[in-house]
Amino acid sequence: MSDPIISLDRVSKHFGAKAAVSDVTFEVMPGRCIGWLGPNGSGKTTLIRCMLGLARVSSGTIHVRGHEIPKDVHQALTRVGGIVEEPRFYPYLSGKRNLEVWASYTGGEARTRVDWALGRVGLSDRAGSPVKQYSQGMRQRLGVARSLLADPELLILDEPSNGLDPAGIAEFRDMIRSFVEQEGRTVFISSHLLDEVQKMADDIAIVQAGKLVLHGSVQELVAGGRQTLRIRVDAPDRAEATVRALGIVTAVTHGEHGNLEVSLGRMDDESSIAITRALVEAGVGVVEVVRQSESLEDRFLEITAGSTAGEMGEASS
Amino acid sequence: MIGATLRTITGRKGTFVGGTAVLFGATVLVLVFVIVLHVLRPGRNPSLGGQNMLDGTAGAVVLLGVVVAVLIGSLAGSYDAAQGTMRYLVMTGSRRGRIYAARTVALLLAVLLALAPALLLGCVTAVLLPHRALDAVEAGEVADVVWTSVLFATVFALISMGIGTVMRSNGPAIAISLVFFLGFTPLLLLVDRASPTLGDLMLPDVLDRLTGADTGQSIPVSAVGLGVWVGVFWAAGRLRVQRDEY
Repeated sequence: MSDPIISLDRVSKHFGAKAAVSDVTFEVMPGRCIGWLGPNGSGKTTLIRCMLGLARVSSGTIHVRGHEIPKDVHQALTRVGGIVEEPRFYPYLSGKRNLEVWASYTGGEARTRVDWALGRVGLSDRAGSPVKQYSQGMRQRLGVARSLLADPELLILDEPSNGLDPAGIAEFRDMIRSFVEQEGRTVFISSHLLDEVQKMADDIAIVQAGKLVLHGSVQELVAGGRQTLRIRVDAPDRAEATVRALGIVTAVTHGEHGNLEVSLGRMDDESSIAITRALVEAGVGVVEVVRQSESLEDRFLEITAGSTAGEMGEASS
Repeated sequence: MIGATLRTITGRKGTFVGGTAVLFGATVLVLVFVIVLHVLRPGRNPSLGGQNMLDGTAGAVVLLGVVVAVLIGSLAGSYDAAQGTMRYLVMTGSRRGRIYAARTVALLLAVLLALAPALLLGCVTAVLLPHRALDAVEAGEVADVVWTSVLFATVFALISMGIGTVMRSNGPAIAISLVFFLGFTPLLLLVDRASPTLGDLMLPDVLDRLTGADTGQSIPVSAVGLGVWVGVFWAAGRLRVQRDEY
């Protein structure tokens, strides 16, 4: 098994007496896209800044690409790109000139990748325009292009979808997936767009009040949530009695227009078939049966409301 | 890195291009003034070039050159932190000391580039335009004007860069740097009255000594004094860059 590309060991960051990050430990394996989630002020950006050598940790250690931050920050960040909060540029220089500035600082072969990076994010046509004329979405894309100059093994993107329109968000999602699936890069992405994260990320880490409360795969996280069958029938009371008699139902709630929401201990095809068959055999007219899973957003709100730390592998901190 | 940083400094049209234009324009004004005087009163102003032109150039470029250098320098210090680009420079993995060193060298080059057109115009016209033998300028005098202009401008540019780096905000950086140049530096002349020895180490005195306007203290002592003045501000900025979180 390969070494983690990011490794945090009992990391804490204090601003005076206030703890922005408390005792966080986790690892990110290479070639994955990890969604970094948390409510506003939960310490997401602070930890990202620590990982990128922009801020010092108060205690604990951070390793990026096997190098300790900030001690070996130069080696650690050699092939790391990122956006923190929002991409900033020299507004009076063109997009291309801006990238050339950063390529000079990045060193290596970064200068030869300027045109490629602009093309990769679809900005070749506007490369000569001053950045002050760019829309917010174009600046975000230029930020990604800048992140690519170092041919990064790891991309750390803090709210990169800010300012993008729906088409831009979809395009951005595809780009992130291609970074991971086709180019083998690791993407660590923080976003408030939970639906997008669910589509983009392989893994999720949730931080709340500076503490890591959950870390695992998106699939596990969503599977660990409540799953229900929404059934629309012509005789709700008789339907409820029928499904309860099956003994596989944990709760039944009545909705409008003959809707029943049926919670099951275990959601699988057999349970759905058994319920549908029992209803038909009992003479209940079944209009619709829909299997519903909690979305990442539902699970996020559930977890950050403090109701559960998740049934999946809980974080080590 | 130096070339890239120079590009970011010279790309700021308001300060660099504007400042260069103001300096050049001031020298053009001196030239026009000399020509007008010559045309109106050729008897009292027989020379177009020569000493008058050189003195006029020196007066315009030294004073305005420092103002322009203060503007360029203070922004060179504050801009990246204020604009938010500093964090992306740090994220390239470049050492903070190297970023600051590149900024220093690029600033010095930018100041020289800003001064060059005005100095070139002033010195060339002083030498080439018709003048009496009595008004002729020697190479050493031209060199003195260039040296004085460059020394004053680069010293105040570096001090302003230190101030700007510490301030991290463009407006206050410019304001405090101008106050330092226009308000605080002249006050340092008063130290000489309290202690002539200490006064010899004050910024105006060491600059005067190193440009030949004063002959009091030794040149090595003045050079050290100047190094301390510039070094303190430069080091304050360097420390700030090293310690700041972006």
